[in-house]
Amino acid sequence: MDSELIQQIRNQARDLLESGTVKGVIGYERASDGLTARPAFAYEPAAVERLIFDETCTHNLVIYLRDKKAEKMAIVVKPCDSRAINLLLNEKQIKRETLFIIGVTCPGVVETSWNYKGQTLQARCQTCQLSKPLVYDFLVEREPVEWPKAVPYLNVQEMENKSIAARRGFWLEQFERCIRCYACRQVCPGCYCPECFVEQLDPLWVGIRIAPKENELWQIMRAFHLAGRCIGCDECERVCPVAIPLSLLNQKLEKKVKELFDFQAGLSPEEQPPLATFKKEEKLGFEE
Amino acid sequence: MNLYISRDDLMRWLAQLLRERILLAPVRVEGLILFQPVSKVEEVALDFANTTLSPKEWFLPPTETLFSMQRNDGQPQLVPSMVEKDVVIFGLRSCDAKGIALMDSPFLREPADTLYQERRTRTSLIGLSCRQAQPECFCTSVGSAPNDSSHVDILLTEIEDGYIVQVITDKGKALLPQALVESEEALPPPPELQAVPTKAVTQAVREFFNNPYWGRLADRCLHCKICAYVCPTCYCFDVRDYFNKGNLERVRSWDSCQSAGFTRIAGGYDPRATKGARLRQRFSHKLLYFPEEFHDIACVGCGRCVKSCPVNIDIREVMSDLEQLEAKSGS
Repeated sequence: MDSELIQQIRNQARDLLESGTVKGVIGYERASDGLTARPAFAYEPAAVERLIFDETCTHNLVIYLRDKKAEKMAIVVKPCDSRAINLLLNEKQIKRETLFIIGVTCPGVVETSWNYKGQTLQARCQTCQLSKPLVYDFLVEREPVEWPKAVPYLNVQEMENKSIAARRGFWLEQFERCIRCYACRQVCPGCYCPECFVEQLDPLWVGIRIAPKENELWQIMRAFHLAGRCIGCDECERVCPVAIPLSLLNQKLEKKVKELFDFQAGLSPEEQPPLATFKKEEKLGFEE
Repeated sequence: MNLYISRDDLMRWLAQLLRERILLAPVRVEGLILFQPVSKVEEVALDFANTTLSPKEWFLPPTETLFSMQRNDGQPQLVPSMVEKDVVIFGLRSCDAKGIALMDSPFLREPADTLYQERRTRTSLIGLSCRQAQPECFCTSVGSAPNDSSHVDILLTEIEDGYIVQVITDKGKALLPQALVESEEALPPPPELQAVPTKAVTQAVREFFNNPYWGRLADRCLHCKICAYVCPTCYCFDVRDYFNKGNLERVRSWDSCQSAGFTRIAGGYDPRATKGARLRQRFSHKLLYFPEEFHDIACVGCGRCVKSCPVNIDIREVMSDLEQLEAKSGS
C-alpha cells in the first residue's frame, strides 16, 4: 500500500469533515478478509483513519451518490469512475455543487474477490486510456505508473467472427445460469431508474420467472438500456455470482456506438449522448 | 463399526443410483460448482470446497409451477405439479444439510407446503463431510460441524483412497450397494474453525432494532439479492398467476427482502422503505424472528453470503458488532 497516498486521502477527508464542507466521505476501507477493499462511509473526522487505497479498490463508488442526493458528499474517484460522474452529470442525476471529488491517479486494479487478490490487472485496466480522473476537486498525485496496454475489443472481435447461431447459443447458455439477483443492475452507475422495467407490473414487460426466456429478456433489455451509456467499469461482471461475462456484451455496444457516432460515454459532462439526441442530417436507416 | 467404499466403487454406486433416480451432484460449470442433475458419473466433482449455490435449489427451486388449470370441455381442471422420480442429492456439506432441516420448519409445519413435502419425501441426502475449512466457514458457531451427520441419510468422509461410510437413516440404508466392507479405520478429526460469537445476538437484534447501526451498515449495501439467493436458509418467494391461451399457471419464484419493492403494498406505502430497514430485516429474520418461531438461528455458517457479497457485508462481523453493542449496554 502507498502510505503517502493514503495519508493525502485521509488528510483531505479530515479537513472536509472538520470544516463541515461535506456531510460524509465515501472511500475505501479494508474488508473483513484483511486483504481486499470494500466501500466505506466516514461521517466523523476520526473515521477517516479507516480509509485506504490500493490495487484492490475495484468498486465504483459513484453508485452511492444516488442515495446521498440531499447532502454534500466527498467521494474518492479513480479515473474510470470519473466517467460515471460525467455520465450522471450529463443525465442530470447529480449536481456538481453537492460533490467534492477526491481524484486518485490510478495504477490499475487487480482481479479481486473475497479473500483473493490476483497478480494481474483487470481486463478493463489493461485497455484503460485515462491516467487521471476527468473531473476532480482535489487530486491525489503519485508517480505515474506505466503498464502494457492491451488492444481493446479483442474479445468482441473474436465473438463477431462467430456465426449468429453460435453467438446466440453462447449467450443463451450464459443467461440460463442467471438467477435474477439484479446485482449487475444494483452495482451499475447507469442503472438508476426508480422503477426498473423488469419489476414493472403495468405494463408487465417480464414476468417473475427465473427461467431461460425471462432471463434472456432481462439481460438483453438491460444491455440495450446501457448502449452509449455504459462507462466500462465492468463492475456488473465482477459482482455476478454465476459468472456471466457481461462486459463482453457491454463492450460490443460500446464499440458499436463508437463506430457509429464516434462517442464514448462519460468522457465529457456536456457532450450530448448520441442516443439522447437527434440531428436532422442523421440517417434513420430506412427509406433512404 | 463403519463401512468403507473405495473411490472406484463409489463411482459404480453412483452410476447404479443414477439408473433409477435423478442424481443431483456438484458439477463444474465455468469455474462454478453447481448442483445439477448428472447424466454420467464422470461429471460429478469430488474435490470442491462448497457449491456456489446451495442445495435448497432442489426443494425450493428458483422458479416452479405450483399448479396449472386447464379447460376440459368447458370445465376447469386443476393439475397439481408432481415430482416424477426419486432423487438422490450427493455431495452436500453438513452445513447445507442443516439448511434443509431449517427450511423444514416453515415448509412442513401444518398446513405443509405439499410440493416441498413431496420433494423432501422423495429425496435422499448423501453428505460429504469437510476435511478442510474455508476462511468464510463458521458452522461450528451455529450448531453444526464439518462432520455433522444429523441431517443426512448417509455421510461420507474422505480418507486416503476412499471414503468411510456412515449410514444414518433407514432411507440411507435402502440406498446402499450390496458389497461394502467394514472398516477399522477411525474417522479423521474435523478441521478447526474460527469461532463467531452468537450467544447474545438474538437479544441484541431485539434490543437494537432502532439503532443507527443498521443505517450505517446499509450505506454500502447494494440491495441486490445475492446473499438471499446463495443462502441455504433464505426462503422468501413471490407467487403470480400467468394466463396462456385460456390456461392458467400459478408460478412461485425466489424473491428477497433486500429488493426495494418487496414490502410495497397497494397505495404505494412501504413499511421497509429505507436501505437500513431492509438490511436489518435480513439479519432480524435470521437472528431473531426465526429463532423466536422455530428455536434455531436461521444461519448454518456456510459463508456463501460472506464470499459472494460484492461489498463485503459479513454476517460474522454483524454478529460480533451486535454482541459488542449488547456487552456495552449491559456494562
